[in-house]
Amino acid sequence: MPELPELNPVVHGRLRLALLSLLSGVEEAEFTWLRAKTEATDGNLGAQLLKLEEAGYVGVEKKFVLRKPQTVYRITEAGRRALIEYVQALNQLLGPAMDAESALHKERS
Amino acid sequence: MQDHTTEQELKDRLSLIESMIAEGRRNTESWGWTFVLWGVAYYLAMAWSAWGHSASAWPVTILIAVVVTVIGACLKAGNHPATTLGRATGAVWIALGISMFLLFLALGLSGRLTDQHLFAAVISAILGMANGASALILRWKVQFACAVVWWAAAVASCFGTDAQSTIVFLVAIFLCQIAFGIYGAIAEAQERKRRVPIHA
Repeated sequence: MPELPELNPVVHGRLRLALLSLLSGVEEAEFTWLRAKTEATDGNLGAQLLKLEEAGYVGVEKKFVLRKPQTVYRITEAGRRALIEYVQALNQLLGPAMDAESALHKERS
Repeated sequence: MQDHTTEQELKDRLSLIESMIAEGRRNTESWGWTFVLWGVAYYLAMAWSAWGHSASAWPVTILIAVVVTVIGACLKAGNHPATTLGRATGAVWIALGISMFLLFLALGLSGRLTDQHLFAAVISAILGMANGASALILRWKVQFACAVVWWAAAVASCFGTDAQSTIVFLVAIFLCQIAFGIYGAIAEAQERKRRVPIHA
């Protein structure tokens, strides 16, 4: 039996996965935008972003715009690589299942 | 890892990744209101200029519309992602705004805004250019259709009578500013409704 790939536990969390995926499609995003897109609570979102930051997968910048505090996040190279590897691992895990599914579809049609 | 539930979960994760990446790239700001605002502004300026016979009708209306647009943009500015597509599209509309503002302010104040055909043709061509560029960047067919309508209006303005030119311009404003703006706002609202919460 071929060895199955390990899924990166930092990326595997559903909200963290959503955050990395969102950040991979933009240059940078504000905390409020990420909260609106994921509809997560402030506490949960902050905690998951902190885990990603500690893993070196996202960079954070805090600044003031028109005297209002603004927290901006961006995916790092390590984060992008981790997401790509995670997708590759998922595809590898699902490979036989997807092959079987498409064969079944062909048989039925 | 290979049982049915896990497989389904893994597939869900793949689709979550795809949908989130698409979500990030989508223009999240609704700019439909600006199209409606400028459509109404054109109607007001035309009415004021036709019945009020005032040379300041266009410059003043354009100035007010610019101020309202800038205030609205500033209020929305604090909640967005930075994307290359967003910046490219924004650049097109900002450049259009500056060009129109300077051109029509100068034409209005100098009193040389007298040829109605030329005026309608220039506005239509500029709006056709901006809509066309934005549509090509975003690959948005509905907006490209608006660009085609503006280009057609620009050409028609050069050949038709005064009445025909005015009617074509009014129809183009209605279709490409007011109807398109409302369509954009509704599409954005529907998209917002479809979103589901994601938890850790």
